[in-house]
Amino acid sequence: MKKLLMVYIVLIGTLMVYLYMAFVRGDDSGLLNESEGLHGSMDQKYVMVNFLTGIDYWKNGLKGFEDAAEALGVSVEYRGSTQYDVQEEVMVLEQVIARNPAGIAVSAINSEALNAAINKAVDAGIPVVMFDSDAPDSKAYSFLGTDNYKAGVTAAHKMAELTGGIGKIGIITHPNQLNLQERTRGFEETIRASYPDLKLAGVEDGKGDQLVSEQKAVQLLARNPDLKGIFVTEANGGVGAGNAILRGAKLNQVRVISFDTDKGTLDMVKSGTIAATIAQGTWNMGYWSLMQLFHLRNDIVEPKANWRGSNISPVPVYVDTGVTVVTKADVDHYYAK
Amino acid sequence: MKQLQRWFQLNNWSIRYKLIFHFLLISIVPSMGIGLLMGWTANGIVEKQVNSHTTQLIDSVNKSLDTYAGNIQNISYFIAMDPEIQSFLREGESAIDDDGERYRMSKFLQSFTTLYSEVAGIIVVRANGDYFSNEMYARTGKSLTEESWYQEAVQAKGIFKIIGHPAGRNVTTHANYKESEVVSVVRAIQNPDTQRTEGVVLIDLKLRVIAETVRDVRLGKSGFLMVVNDEGERIYMPRNANLGSADLKQLSGQSSGTFSQTVNGRRLQFTYQKSPFTNWTTVGVFAVSDSAQEIKDINLYLVAFVSIVCMLGIAASYYLSHSISRPISQLTSFMRKVEEGNMTIRIPVEREDEMGVLGRSFNKMLSQITRLISQVREEQQLKREAELRSLQAHIQPHFLYNTLDTIQWLARKDGAQEATEMVETLSKLFRLGLSKGQEFISLADEIEHIRSYLKIQQTRYKEKLNYRIDMDENCGDMPVLKLILQPIVENAIYHGIKERRGPGLVEVRASVAGGMLNLTVRDDGAGMKEERLEALRATLEAVSAPAVAAGSSEATEAGRRLNGLSASYGLWNVQERIRLSFGESYGITLESKEKAGTIVTIKHPIQLRKEETAHGKDLESSHSG
Repeated sequence: MKKLLMVYIVLIGTLMVYLYMAFVRGDDSGLLNESEGLHGSMDQKYVMVNFLTGIDYWKNGLKGFEDAAEALGVSVEYRGSTQYDVQEEVMVLEQVIARNPAGIAVSAINSEALNAAINKAVDAGIPVVMFDSDAPDSKAYSFLGTDNYKAGVTAAHKMAELTGGIGKIGIITHPNQLNLQERTRGFEETIRASYPDLKLAGVEDGKGDQLVSEQKAVQLLARNPDLKGIFVTEANGGVGAGNAILRGAKLNQVRVISFDTDKGTLDMVKSGTIAATIAQGTWNMGYWSLMQLFHLRNDIVEPKANWRGSNISPVPVYVDTGVTVVTKADVDHYYAK
Repeated sequence: MKQLQRWFQLNNWSIRYKLIFHFLLISIVPSMGIGLLMGWTANGIVEKQVNSHTTQLIDSVNKSLDTYAGNIQNISYFIAMDPEIQSFLREGESAIDDDGERYRMSKFLQSFTTLYSEVAGIIVVRANGDYFSNEMYARTGKSLTEESWYQEAVQAKGIFKIIGHPAGRNVTTHANYKESEVVSVVRAIQNPDTQRTEGVVLIDLKLRVIAETVRDVRLGKSGFLMVVNDEGERIYMPRNANLGSADLKQLSGQSSGTFSQTVNGRRLQFTYQKSPFTNWTTVGVFAVSDSAQEIKDINLYLVAFVSIVCMLGIAASYYLSHSISRPISQLTSFMRKVEEGNMTIRIPVEREDEMGVLGRSFNKMLSQITRLISQVREEQQLKREAELRSLQAHIQPHFLYNTLDTIQWLARKDGAQEATEMVETLSKLFRLGLSKGQEFISLADEIEHIRSYLKIQQTRYKEKLNYRIDMDENCGDMPVLKLILQPIVENAIYHGIKERRGPGLVEVRASVAGGMLNLTVRDDGAGMKEERLEALRATLEAVSAPAVAAGSSEATEAGRRLNGLSASYGLWNVQERIRLSFGESYGITLESKEKAGTIVTIKHPIQLRKEETAHGKDLESSHSG
């Protein structure tokens, strides 16, 4: 009996050792070093939706979006309307929502049109944040972008500095877009308030297109031969305005302040055609949009124990990505290396 | 050596271990065999499945990579077909001096990046070094035609070519895509008439796309896919992969296959397949130990199964062998005790199987032996006692006989003739009676002894007693138990002749009949009553050799009853001695009639050799008879 007991103990012991070897001491150091901290999976797909998807302006924002995705190990997709078309963007957004992505970063073509779709997504539990161009009445969790009014203010101060604070200035913008409206408003109000000697010669609609803006700039110059400066609220118009003053040989007379840092604009800043451009934190918009979406999707943020159902926002509702003024002196920093 | 050999001789093992050994052999070895076989087979199957699964994954990844590459190729064709681009390639910068031209061209190129977000940038380079792009530009003033990718495109003669990571090139993307984040694709645009290269289209594809295709494929626990181009450069590899110094040279030149390699002390399995379109090889890497999760599960079940079988087998064989060998060893230990002389032991029998039967037989045998032993002891003792009695009966006569010799000598000296004769006869009687303590004497001596006795009695009773002694010839040498006639003749004289009126005759005959010696003592004395005769006969018949030997109550009772039957003690004594020595087929028979006399016949076996104490043999013969 004792012997039998011994044999049993040995057997069971052996079995236990085997189990221990097989499961407890299993070598967990895989071929892939486990990521520490925030870490998603590839089947989480975050989508960036905007309009005029092809334009260079978005490229940096998308780069930021992709970099954040790379950092977190999730996948991203880039969608939107190829044309400047409200209906198309709404449709694309609806399609994206139908595919139930992990989160959507939207840049709104106008401040109202997308609200219904955005709200639908949020109600369906898909986190949505706005970047670059807000839809303030929607249920989107956050807006990340430039404080456009402030950007307009900054541009106004720069314009005053460039023109010596005296003379006529024109504005080329795109009045349907909230962000451009804000820039224009900030610019105008600052000029009116702080620089009484600067006169606004007119606000033109450049439709966000290079050629249209060029034409408008030419018209402005034709109407105001003594024009001292043009503030263009977006990049395509900036290049157009630059071309216009080159053609009109008004390079030494007209100071153009443009927006954004696409290659064409930078080249013109470098060559002196454009006096200054306002750089936005586009990369940051993309990067932090994805970060916020990721946090929302994975319930990492918990500002209060029961923030759901209350008005407490789990993420910062507004992230100002800031602006910087780029001139010939520091334009080289903005070229890709 | 010898020891080992002895140990291997199964016959030298104890039954218990033999049984256990065999049971275990029968139960555990097959189950282990089955376990091993199944584990082995399952290993093979799982490995095959893992490999085919990996191959399928790689295949699908390759297909989607091919799709991307195909899209990019198509873009390069579209670009080459565009009239604006064509005129730019033909005429150089002058073709796009016009803003509208430039704008249209840039719009056109933009449309591709709009449609294909995986495109990081497109650049069209003319043969003279002029280039056009929306988002890419040369870092330095060096002509882009000197770039290695440009040269490769020219060498490829209009065939689409994937460069891989564009290391150290003089081109940068405005959105700051690093060289590690893109894959470059080039195609030379050739003049269809002259076959001269007019320019090269370079398209940067975001690596992210490949990464997303590849990254989430998990092989086993921690395996992954990687993409390597035909120069062994790693197009894509998970950032957190620790492949160490794996040598991927084996990939070159093969279109698909598997091999394994040890990296950082870990055995890795590489499964790879090359896409002929992209010239990229997609490699699945997983640790061999990883693929074994299922195998581990199977093995776990097998091990558990075998363990349970082992436990059951051991327990079963233990108990089975125990149930067989325990009674045997018990029996053995009982036997040993018996060997040591403990005869009272008995095996408790509560089983009904062969062991029980064996035990019962053992018990029976033991009691049989015990009985025999005590019987023998009893016999010996009785013999001793009888001898002692006769010895005691002799010692006095011995002294007497010496005295008688002296008397005879005195009588002869005084010339008393009759007295001398008488004394001589008496001393002869005594001498024969003593007969040196031997148990057997010749019949002649016995007859002589009886003759002396009768002579002395005749001297005493004068003519009241007459006697006749007959002895067949050739039986004088036969050995007989001594002193068997004297008590019977004494009885005949005292209870027969003495009780009658007038003279009586005692006849003693010795004859051989029916293979035995018959000694008859006949008297014509008083005889006895019928009931007394019956009683005597019963008493004598009750004297059985075994009963006497066992000292059974019957015999003692018979002895006790003899106290009531005076003078038959002599008869009983003779009967007892004969039956002790020769068995129950011999002994005394009585015939008697009142007022007519008594005939006592002693049936005595014929002993051939006098010297041998033949009574053992006769005992046997009596038993077999």
